[in-house]
Amino acid sequence: MKILVAIKRVPDAETTIKVNPEGTGIVNAGVKWVVNPFCEIAIEEALKIKETKGDVEVVLVTVGRSESQEQLRTGLAMGADRAILVTAENLDTTGVSRVLAKIVEKESPDVVFLGKQAIDDDSNEVGQMLAQRLGWAQACYISEFNMADDAKSAQVVREIDGGMRTDKVMLPAIITADLRLNEPRYASLPGIMKARKKPLEEIDGASLGVDLEPKIIIKSMAPPPARAAGRLVESVDELINALKNEAKVL
Amino acid sequence: MSDAAINQYKADLRSMEFTLYEHLKVQEVFTEDYFSHLSREECDQIIEQTARFADEYIGPLNGPADRAGCTIVDGQVITPEGFKAAWSKLYELGVPNFAVPLEHGGFQGPSSVGSVLHELLSGANCSFNMYPSLTLGAMDLVATFCKGKVRETFLEPMMDGRFGGTMCLSESQAGSDVGSATTKAVKIEDNRYKISGTKCWISAGDHDLGENIVHLVLARVEGAPAGTKGISLFVVPKYRVNDDGSVGESNDVQTVSIEHKLGIKASSTAVLAFGENDNCEGFLVGGEENSGMKQMFQMMNSARIIVGIQGLAAASSAYLNALAYARDRKQGSSVKAFKDPNAPRVAIIEHSDVRRMLMEMKARVEGMRSLVVKLSKHQDLSLALAEKDPDTANYHKGQVDLLTPIVKAYCSDQGFRVCELAVQVYGGAGYVQDNPVEQYLRDSKIFSIYEGTNHIQALDLVVRKLRGRKGQDLVDFTSNMTEFIQTNANDPGIGAEVRALGAAAQGLQEAGASIMEYMMSGKLDQLTLCATPFLEAMSEITVGHLLLEAALIAEECRTQNDDQSQEDFDFYAGRVMSAKFFANFILPTVHAKVAAIKSADRSALDIPDRGFSTAW
Repeated sequence: MKILVAIKRVPDAETTIKVNPEGTGIVNAGVKWVVNPFCEIAIEEALKIKETKGDVEVVLVTVGRSESQEQLRTGLAMGADRAILVTAENLDTTGVSRVLAKIVEKESPDVVFLGKQAIDDDSNEVGQMLAQRLGWAQACYISEFNMADDAKSAQVVREIDGGMRTDKVMLPAIITADLRLNEPRYASLPGIMKARKKPLEEIDGASLGVDLEPKIIIKSMAPPPARAAGRLVESVDELINALKNEAKVL
Repeated sequence: MSDAAINQYKADLRSMEFTLYEHLKVQEVFTEDYFSHLSREECDQIIEQTARFADEYIGPLNGPADRAGCTIVDGQVITPEGFKAAWSKLYELGVPNFAVPLEHGGFQGPSSVGSVLHELLSGANCSFNMYPSLTLGAMDLVATFCKGKVRETFLEPMMDGRFGGTMCLSESQAGSDVGSATTKAVKIEDNRYKISGTKCWISAGDHDLGENIVHLVLARVEGAPAGTKGISLFVVPKYRVNDDGSVGESNDVQTVSIEHKLGIKASSTAVLAFGENDNCEGFLVGGEENSGMKQMFQMMNSARIIVGIQGLAAASSAYLNALAYARDRKQGSSVKAFKDPNAPRVAIIEHSDVRRMLMEMKARVEGMRSLVVKLSKHQDLSLALAEKDPDTANYHKGQVDLLTPIVKAYCSDQGFRVCELAVQVYGGAGYVQDNPVEQYLRDSKIFSIYEGTNHIQALDLVVRKLRGRKGQDLVDFTSNMTEFIQTNANDPGIGAEVRALGAAAQGLQEAGASIMEYMMSGKLDQLTLCATPFLEAMSEITVGHLLLEAALIAEECRTQNDDQSQEDFDFYAGRVMSAKFFANFILPTVHAKVAAIKSADRSALDIPDRGFSTAW
């Protein structure tokens, strides 16, 4: 069996993000980059299946600049078998899903795991778009995944508004991981050492023959306004007045 | 105070990165064959995973484990809740074996990176980290000196965390004076001996983390010469090990008691009785009797460096916690508004005296870390170049020897003092258990005492190390510093500070001359009286040199890199400032120590015992 896990390089949640002066994107200098936390959960799920089923190849793929190798190595250190880096810049979710569809055609995995969304843009689109392009079933926001013994289907629990929903999904399918699916493992020292020797294939995005042109144009980017300092009010009346007329919450 | 597991450990990974790669250029070691199986990338991943383990597993246990302590039930020590799981996880990650040579089954990582791993583990939970550290020390001796069946039986389980390890040196009458140990070994056959005697102060002496504990015990074979020359080293397991590697019956090793201590309360410090029922077997380490001290020294040198790192680790987290508190805690108004009773309250970090304390802590923590990494890089290069370039390897080995007592004594003394300053920054809030610094203060006191008291380190420095390789080690050390001072004495940014270092170094030379004179003229009491101030003065100068060297690099990064974040800019500026502060506020104290050493004052020696006080 083969499992493909698509991952993304994102700024660490604790790093300070600044918008560049042109307002077209963020300043990359001084940013700490990590594997998107939801993608880490996706990797973990694939590795757990590998451990229980045996004979499973876990292949990682990412689309981005060549620095994304670091995040692929992290996944390899966790235990994935090999990795593919498709080099391309300034893609939107349509471009990323087109590239991934190509890679899926090439690799023909039995199941594709992704994180439900990336913590940088919070788009929550790639998994769904990829399913559409492939004509595959999709099960998004899952918090439980149980593959059937014959590996032809899986029972999943999905986190939906106001509750959980249990579905059966036919494989191959696109699965996107939610927070509670599992707790990703640490990369051990032997894992980190082995990762160095695992294959990491680099493919030029332009060579795949798909439309990489962004359909979503970022017109401007700005940080949220800084919160103004609070102030002490003299009386209840003044408070009510402020809540009514300034905050407009009453 | 609730015992909810909250991580209060703070690590400064940026500062570690600077010291490793920007200042001391540890990446250079990866070009040597010995370390070429690694690169910075893997090492960074390992640091990151270790930092995560520190924050998630052992950091949150630090306070609760201190309050729970170790208990002893039916002769078995029970460690605090959570230690077992953390122990298993640590060995699953493989971190303890990072710097162990490939031929012994480790990862052969550079000690310079290893020192950062130790800092992370010890800083997050000093007590917990005692268990793997002691195991590593004992394992290293088994790996280096044991052959055949003993090695096969014990090495692998000690590496994978199935067996713990200890070092059993002290007895009630034999602490600093190891040579008076009386534990007996009587030969049974080949390398098997019957062991009997009682050892005390055994760190990690008993615990429930693994299946077995391998004690490395100093004992005297019947008829051996007196003193340290007649000491042999034995592998003595708590439980005997069956031929298939499984753990068998008791080996007659009993935990008599554990100490109730000021700090590191979750590390069991045991009194162990060997052979009370005449049924305790040990295996001689190496092929020859009476080689115990030499063998033990191999372990002691690395253990001393680790103790230095413990001091650094506690100090670093104490500093970062005090800093966070000072940024948050509002009290008083700015001194600039002293006339205005209604001036706004400010965070205490705005107050000059708090800034002075924070600055001293910052400078000392950065200085200690660069000292530790500097020593470790020498160690890495002495290993890596041993075959290819023995002369250069010997130079590096000499610097390791010279710096070891400095790292042990300086980092342990200053570690404690930085923790004390941290309590002062917190004020009353630092004196109570709600904040972590009172524990750091208690935990860090032991560092200047165990693994050879700091006076033992000072004696090692002045009696042995200053004369290492016929004085060549000191010559190399001094010429490195002189070259730095001459090159940078007129630096537009920190020239004045470099000259202050020069003046202090000049003073140290004079103090060194006095020390030599005391030695040559047989004034040994005067010599030993001055050893500690000499070590302190030499340490401050070594650290001053490293801080100023780092400041030059930081200044270059700050001014020459246009594409840097504001954070980096401030970070580099901070490195320059702390170096200047150290040179102006701390280096001058060297002159006071020099004056004391040169004075040849004998009052501490000549005062009648009753003169100390007539009260008995």
